[in-house]
Amino acid sequence: MLYRVKKAPWFFAALILPAALVVGFLILYPVINGIYLSFTDASPLRQGALKFVGFENYTYLFEEEVFYASVFNTSFIVFVSSALAVIMGFLIALLLHFGVKRFAPLFRALVFQVWVVPWICVTILWGWMFNKEYGLINYLMTATGMTETNMDILFDQTGAQWVMIAGFTWRSIPFLMVIALAGLQSISTEIIEASELDGARFLSRIGHIIIPMIRNVLMVALLLDSVRFFQEMTLPLLLTQGGPVNATMVLSLFTYQLAFENWDFALASAAGTVWLVFIIVVAWIVLRFGIRKEHVK
Amino acid sequence: MSIKPSSTAFSYRKINALAAYTIAIAAFAFLLLPVYWLVVTSFKPIEDVFVVPPEMWPHNFTFKNYVNQFDLRLIQMFQNSLIVSGAAAILSTFAGSLCAYAISRFYFRFKSILLLFFLASMAFPVPMLMITMYSTFHQLGLLDTYWALILGNTAMGLPLSVWLMTNFIDQIPIDMEEAALLDGASPFSVLMHIVLPMVRPGLAASGIFVFVTSWNELLMGLTFVSSPEVRTLPAGITLAFLGEFEGDWSEMMALAVMVTLPVFLLFMIMQKSILKGMTAGALK
Repeated sequence: MLYRVKKAPWFFAALILPAALVVGFLILYPVINGIYLSFTDASPLRQGALKFVGFENYTYLFEEEVFYASVFNTSFIVFVSSALAVIMGFLIALLLHFGVKRFAPLFRALVFQVWVVPWICVTILWGWMFNKEYGLINYLMTATGMTETNMDILFDQTGAQWVMIAGFTWRSIPFLMVIALAGLQSISTEIIEASELDGARFLSRIGHIIIPMIRNVLMVALLLDSVRFFQEMTLPLLLTQGGPVNATMVLSLFTYQLAFENWDFALASAAGTVWLVFIIVVAWIVLRFGIRKEHVK
Repeated sequence: MSIKPSSTAFSYRKINALAAYTIAIAAFAFLLLPVYWLVVTSFKPIEDVFVVPPEMWPHNFTFKNYVNQFDLRLIQMFQNSLIVSGAAAILSTFAGSLCAYAISRFYFRFKSILLLFFLASMAFPVPMLMITMYSTFHQLGLLDTYWALILGNTAMGLPLSVWLMTNFIDQIPIDMEEAALLDGASPFSVLMHIVLPMVRPGLAASGIFVFVTSWNELLMGLTFVSSPEVRTLPAGITLAFLGEFEGDWSEMMALAVMVTLPVFLLFMIMQKSILKGMTAGALK
């Protein structure tokens, strides 16, 4: 360490201050205030002082069917798309690292660009690709004989969920591929060569040597990605408005609509608090059971 | 009459390589197909969009869809998005790198808790944060100004900036700073003249990350501002365009290409630093 706070207090304060102001006013205070508001009847439409209502918002939420639907849909969509993205990202990284090593940087650079396509554009594009009469997906599905007639995928409950999953997965495969590839590149070639000399077959090498070595990296990337999926709602907001019959109603959309369409800040805060607790539990489970301690520094 | 083992191994390797290339190309075609489809549709006249089977290549190539986009409203929204994303990128990188320097070079208790907090804060429900932000901005009279969006996006980007910059600063050796301090340089000038020039790729990566996420941001754009003069692209497209465009898919694709292009190019130019920052952080 170069400095100690006691030796250079003003320098330390000057470094920390800008970030502390932003975080304090716009992250930390809003979280604490949000949890507080969830126990009140806060709403910009209501006049007069805040009333403390105890757990009323929570009991209301837990009697609401849409709320259960949104928790379930969020878990389903986030879980399936993260799993698909991590598996496909890993497979592509393997292919690049062991199969087409020479072109790996080019392929990586090309695919990584997908990661910046703005969600609003993904939404427009998805609307077009899944269009009933002229969409590419319907064309491909009927042409290959998967379906007999064109389907209105966005108006089908399961279909709409899979459209969301397709969007989330597609946009985050590049991220997981890049992380997995970096993980693979960090494994020393000696280990791989030694296992080759031991006569380990390719699949067992992957299962017994490679996956255990980059497992933690993948787990952390997976967690970061699922956290982002929890927040992302451009796709369901614009494409399906949570429908059909709440099939794509996710927690973020539910909370947002409560807050800024119904202007019920209290209920939205309660939903946000449940969401926060939920994600803490998920993160804890992933970190507790997904991460191997011996690899952590 | 048997084939020599070495030549079998050789041909096996050849087949393996061929298979690997085929699968790789197939996988990439699959991943890039949506982007291809976006671009191709944007160059088709509207009559050619509604045909079955779809045209895989625009036979009547046209720029009309792009030319039609240029109206004052769209230019205004582009300008707003540029201002908001640019300012958020600068502010977040500025505050983030100072804080990261403190985290990397100071000894203090609660450091790991601080870093953990920054990581965890990326998971805080944004709509819930926005409730209090909305009230705060309302009291400060910042609603319906650039500042509401700039500050909101800065806050959303800051954890990432701190995290990225800490990784970058941790990687540079401490010796030069020590030597400069011994020579009597002030801590501030050490930071300005030694550290910051060395982490330029990090600053670029952080700036671009925040720029891209702010460019992408929809909810605050929909909520914190209401007049078209300050509305950003995602919100503007949501409110003004989606209804008007009803069915005119080729024009919508052209719009989508135009919205993607700035971040696409920025990201492409700086991909090296971004990759470095991301993978260094993830592998720790």
